[in-house]
Amino acid sequence: MAAANLRRFVIRRLVAAVILLVGVTMVTFTLTSLVPSNPLLSLLGEAGMSDPVAVARYREHYRLDDPVPVQYFTYMTNLVQGDLGTSRRTRLPVLDELAKHAPASMELALLATILALTVGVAAGTVAGIFHNRLPDQVIRVISLVGVSMPIFWVALVVFYLARVQFGLMTGTGRLPPGMLPPPTVTGAFSVDAALAGDWRLLRTATAYLLLPALVLSIYAVSLITRFSRSAVLEALGEDFVRTARAKGLSGISVAFRHVLRAALVPITTVSGVVFGVLLSGTVFVESIFAFPGLGQYAYLSAISLDLPAIMGITVFVAMLYIVINFVVDLLYAVIDPRIRLS
Amino acid sequence: MESADDRADRLLAKRQRVAFRSVWRRPLAVVGLFIVAGWVLAALFAPWIAPYGPLQQTADIYAPPSAEHWFGTDQLGRDVFSRVIHGSRITLPLAVMLVALASVVGSLLGGIAGYLSGLVDEAIMRFADLVFAFPAIILAMAVAAALGPSLRNAVLAVVVVAWPIYARVMRSLVLSAREMEYVLASRLTGASSREALFSEILPNVAGPITVLAMLELGNATLWLAGLSFLGLGAQPPYPEWGAMVASGALAFNRWWVGLFPGLAILSAVLAFNFIGDSFRDTLDPKITRAIR
Repeated sequence: MAAANLRRFVIRRLVAAVILLVGVTMVTFTLTSLVPSNPLLSLLGEAGMSDPVAVARYREHYRLDDPVPVQYFTYMTNLVQGDLGTSRRTRLPVLDELAKHAPASMELALLATILALTVGVAAGTVAGIFHNRLPDQVIRVISLVGVSMPIFWVALVVFYLARVQFGLMTGTGRLPPGMLPPPTVTGAFSVDAALAGDWRLLRTATAYLLLPALVLSIYAVSLITRFSRSAVLEALGEDFVRTARAKGLSGISVAFRHVLRAALVPITTVSGVVFGVLLSGTVFVESIFAFPGLGQYAYLSAISLDLPAIMGITVFVAMLYIVINFVVDLLYAVIDPRIRLS
Repeated sequence: MESADDRADRLLAKRQRVAFRSVWRRPLAVVGLFIVAGWVLAALFAPWIAPYGPLQQTADIYAPPSAEHWFGTDQLGRDVFSRVIHGSRITLPLAVMLVALASVVGSLLGGIAGYLSGLVDEAIMRFADLVFAFPAIILAMAVAAALGPSLRNAVLAVVVVAWPIYARVMRSLVLSAREMEYVLASRLTGASSREALFSEILPNVAGPITVLAMLELGNATLWLAGLSFLGLGAQPPYPEWGAMVASGALAFNRWWVGLFPGLAILSAVLAFNFIGDSFRDTLDPKITRAIR
């Protein structure tokens, strides 16, 4: 990978990222400005709305009387300076709220990604190798069930089973009541506990993370399974696989050294999709498991019409999306040297 | 002696019969069709099947499943079985309507993009990428919250996030169809570009778009139920399945309140996916790749 190529790639991506961010903010801003009276109603309540003085003060305070383009410009000016506004529900800066909630979700999503990749790639490879035979059929049905399950319902069923039937979790959220979180380094409790050398805390934090992560990973497992299957099938048809076979290499050795390696490329590309799926899932999983992450924050902000918070989450998620896809594209070029960054 | 037209009709009919039979050879599609048929019947005859009215309250609050209440009762003593049956009248037609709306909007935009190309194409497709890239539920939540929580707005919110995939597929279909010989032939015989679009191209891309819509029907159902679960869709007291699971979440140790509506969602979505997945194999692999 030549340095000049890399630089050009990064610059192009940065430009695209800025355009994407402006686009996302414009779309969300326009949508949320469509109904200027609703946020007031949810802020002031029915009683407050009947008081014209209070209404006028709030309109003034939140500059709701400015034309939408002016409001947007103000928002963007603040955004560039790192000011995402103040959450109307909690009265805290949106940036602080995001910083507080993001690590929990990242921890959850990361574990779910690891689970999804391990199980999904394994199942997809098996399905591809046993193309149209029994294991393939069984895996196909299971993965179809996986993408058909409403995640909020699975979360509820798992939560009920764990808590009522097996008495597994005494509390909700990230830790049982009374247990203090580790000193904050990354904000991910499991990592911080390991850094602090507190093994009991590490075990508990991981246990509390595991069930929601399992539920969260179901859809992604199915998605990756299907992707890996078709990637493996495609790779199996390649000349180099036939050659390896002809050389007399065993099936397993061909599968690992040639097929899976070739299949890695399309599997990497799906990671961006998986990220979106997982983030959507956190909204549901976190609301059932009372897990104080980004999904729960998004949900609470949405139902209370906390527009600055909704905007902030949208911008944050868009940025995350851009970063992850950038990393995926870089990985892509590392895994497959035939791909030039262009 | 058979005329050329008769012969063409006969061959076409035969081909359709074969295509139809091949669906019956796919066991998953058959299972899916039976489940869907079951739900359609349930929706049509809900008042006769359900032993109680969907909003009818009784003194039996949180009664566990019994002979009297097959699926138990909820926090207002309403019969969960009756509500699940009646729920099919809300979720299923709305999911179909939603997919129809999204596919029409998406196909139109994609068709325009593919046919006109150039700047219009760029603008439409970059916008589609923007929406496509974004975690669907976050965008849908923002839209539903901004428009105000109601079933109608939830449908609109899902349409907003669901159209880009149709635009993408439609655009690639139109792009490849444009180069087909039959389109060139119709242009050469004097058809205008718009005539060619409507009489030659659109009929030929309708099939793949229908399959795509079938594949997306399950997702649409999940999104719609999900928004209702979050309180951004159906409002009480409507027996919407997602909203019913939400009331189960409020009393999670009364497992029956949330379990059965969730199973209803699962069965319907699974049936849609069984059917859609079986038809996917009949598609051109190039299009399949554009879809997933």
